[in-house]
Amino acid sequence: MADWDELAEALADYTVSCNSNERLRKMQRDWSRTLHFVCSDTGVTFSMDVDHGEILSSPEGHIGTPDIVVTTHSETFCDMFWGDLNPVQKYLRGEITVKGSQEDIMRLDAISYVIWPDA
Amino acid sequence: MANAEGAPPAAVRLRRSVGAATATATSAGLAFAAIDYLGVVSVMAYAPGATAALAILIGGVLVLLVAGIFSELNGLYPTAAGIRLYVARAVGNRTALSVAFTYMTTVVLVIAADAFLISAAVRHVLHQPAALAYVWIVILLGLALTSNLRGVRLAGWVQTLVTYTVLAGTAVLSLLALFHVGRAFHRPFDLFGKGSFSGVQAVAFALFLYAAFEWVTTTAEEARTPRVITRALFIAPLLIWLVATLFALALAHLVPFSVLHHSAYPQLLLGKAALGTVGELWMLALTVLTALNTFNGGFLVASRFIYAAAREGNLPRQFAQLNLNAVPWLAVATLAGVSAVVAAVVFATGQWLLLVAVGAAMESGIYALGSLSLLILRGRETRERPFRLLAGRPLAAFGVALFTLLFLATGFSDPKNASRFSATPISIIATLTAVSTVYVLIFVPRLQAAAAARAAANRPRRRPRRPAAAVEEQAAEASKPPSVDG
Repeated sequence: MADWDELAEALADYTVSCNSNERLRKMQRDWSRTLHFVCSDTGVTFSMDVDHGEILSSPEGHIGTPDIVVTTHSETFCDMFWGDLNPVQKYLRGEITVKGSQEDIMRLDAISYVIWPDA
Repeated sequence: MANAEGAPPAAVRLRRSVGAATATATSAGLAFAAIDYLGVVSVMAYAPGATAALAILIGGVLVLLVAGIFSELNGLYPTAAGIRLYVARAVGNRTALSVAFTYMTTVVLVIAADAFLISAAVRHVLHQPAALAYVWIVILLGLALTSNLRGVRLAGWVQTLVTYTVLAGTAVLSLLALFHVGRAFHRPFDLFGKGSFSGVQAVAFALFLYAAFEWVTTTAEEARTPRVITRALFIAPLLIWLVATLFALALAHLVPFSVLHHSAYPQLLLGKAALGTVGELWMLALTVLTALNTFNGGFLVASRFIYAAAREGNLPRQFAQLNLNAVPWLAVATLAGVSAVVAAVVFATGQWLLLVAVGAAMESGIYALGSLSLLILRGRETRERPFRLLAGRPLAAFGVALFTLLFLATGFSDPKNASRFSATPISIIATLTAVSTVYVLIFVPRLQAAAAARAAANRPRRRPRRPAAAVEEQAAEASKPPSVDG
């Protein structure tokens, strides 16, 4: 199980990787969403505010009304934000659950794919 | 998707979510394509005259069973992966993948069929030479390709409006045709008039009219509540039943079957017979409108499936490449190319009714697999679900037997001669299944091994977590005065 400190560390790295990737920023230029995350094992929750493809913040707790809600184990979140796993594989096996439109789910995965194409 | 712990998903309020009206329109819109007009003619080939309405009614009752089965499966696994996850959980991932690849060819067939049918209809109304249909096919698929690559998508309300316009427009024109003077219904209960097996085949083809209505389960993750999908699964077939019945009765009422059977645009013939040129243009407009749903929904569903399969390592990774509009461009371009080739082949060979037969057989096969999945999962999954089919096990077992029979009935049908049998439809399906199975057994393991090797070379990026004791020790070291040992 990963605690909030580990998640925050992973999120910080993820945020830098996303915001510094020019291709990704261009691709997601029309994508502004509020994401909620739920750790199914620890109960920890956090949010992510994305504005025109830029991650503005990812605080602990749920803030605002979400466009997407992602639920999985805290360790899976850590590995996902560090780029150590392919989220699609986990999603199709039912280990990551998502509520949201199919387009938003694909956009979320596209972030991982563009940053870490070989994950 | 069921949550990671296997418990029922918690109710979540999203900023944008799909309600019952939109989900119903999505379901009906996915099912009611231009090829459905030909589907009605295929039903009439086996159930002559007004008897087609009886076959469509029986087909509708059977589809309600399918709605119940898919509602329970969707309640267990509310995910965009849909039938693939149901089959994977029931009989294994490889089989599910093979089935999913075969199933996706249905989408290509429907896109190709619509491209051909709309081209043929436009060419007919404009009185252009037959060869210009090829040009129209290229123009239609070119437009679909360009708009998809640019990331253009129909807004939910436009999709809803288009669906209800097509359904209402077809129903109203059919009603007008039914009130046309001077004719009476012919042979309303002649279900076995074309031989002892013709009634079964008529029902099997009637099922095709509802085909793809269950794809609405792939939108489960954006539904306001799980019951929204269940409602859509039960309401959409009623709408399709009503429209298809009126259309079949109107056709039987006004247009001789000998004329219908050789036409790729029966809806235009009905329009002309009912209201002259106005009716013909009316039906042409509706036919073109169906393309919006088919090309928007079909391209979206199939290209995202290809993207996910490539990301998962089941297709070459190039298919997951995204353009600057976040669209998997190679997947979309491949779909358009393959659809254009299939449409051109259909036009050149005049085998459009074969597409209906193959589509109808595949759909019955999928319903049989869905029933089998529920039968198996009823023994494994004890979780609560938002919908539980009454007498689920016996009904699922009945579904396996019935839909297998209907699969065979359409698989061995001769689309051009109802009194004969032909192995062509089932041969096409067997070939597609064999290709897909060989691919899954031989090529997928190689692709996955290559993907695993690439991933291993890049992992782990995650920094190892330092134990708390080590952190405290380091902090204590830092607070000590500096050593003088030099």
